[in-house]
Amino acid sequence: MSAVAWQRLLGAAWGGRAAALCRGLRTGPPRLQDSAEAAEKQSATDLSTHIQVVSFDNRPFARTSCGTEGFQNAKKGTAIAAQTAAMAAAVKARGKGVLHVRVMVKGLGPGRKAAIKGLTMGGLEVISITDNTPIPHNGCRPRKARRM
Amino acid sequence: MANHLRFLGRTVMVQNGNVEAAYGALNRILSQDGLVEVVRRRRYYEKPCRRRQRLAYEACRRVYNAEMGRKIAFLARGSRQDPWLGC
Repeated sequence: MSAVAWQRLLGAAWGGRAAALCRGLRTGPPRLQDSAEAAEKQSATDLSTHIQVVSFDNRPFARTSCGTEGFQNAKKGTAIAAQTAAMAAAVKARGKGVLHVRVMVKGLGPGRKAAIKGLTMGGLEVISITDNTPIPHNGCRPRKARRM
Repeated sequence: MANHLRFLGRTVMVQNGNVEAAYGALNRILSQDGLVEVVRRRRYYEKPCRRRQRLAYEACRRVYNAEMGRKIAFLARGSRQDPWLGC
């Protein structure tokens, strides 16, 4: 990218001399203000909550879920399980140097709010909360209604 | 939402570290925009006959509530000038 800009500047007649002055022309990927900015994705279903802490260019930092915290079956689908999973993920991410986090929540479930609270209790600072619940524009047909 | 910018839509910024208020604001916006009901409805398939019944029911309910609201507002009016003044 910088090579192309450089050649174009050198090709111009009167800009040839001035081109030598502006050397820092390349535009790399936009640098974020925070030193360690990470995104944290939660998937909060009725059965369990999964939490994944990821950097801005999708390099993983930590991944926990209610199952990895030792809860089984029905106990995974509770708010307390989500909170402990979030605290564990926050501690792990903190160990790798993550401070600020943007939360993306997916799904409506018992662990939706509790997981965000667990993150703040685990020491990560939440900057923004996004809701990324998948809403199909009439895509796949869901399962049939219960209690027919 | 996979093809859009990641933190553009359905995002609430947290002010002064007040995560609870931000989450409450997000929930309020989502329910006001009807997204919560849509998600809950799409969990199980709604057959076309049930869908027609539901839409008719919601339309009737909307009309009824509007008329009832008008009636209540009419009956609860106050501070108007006395129509029987001088009688």
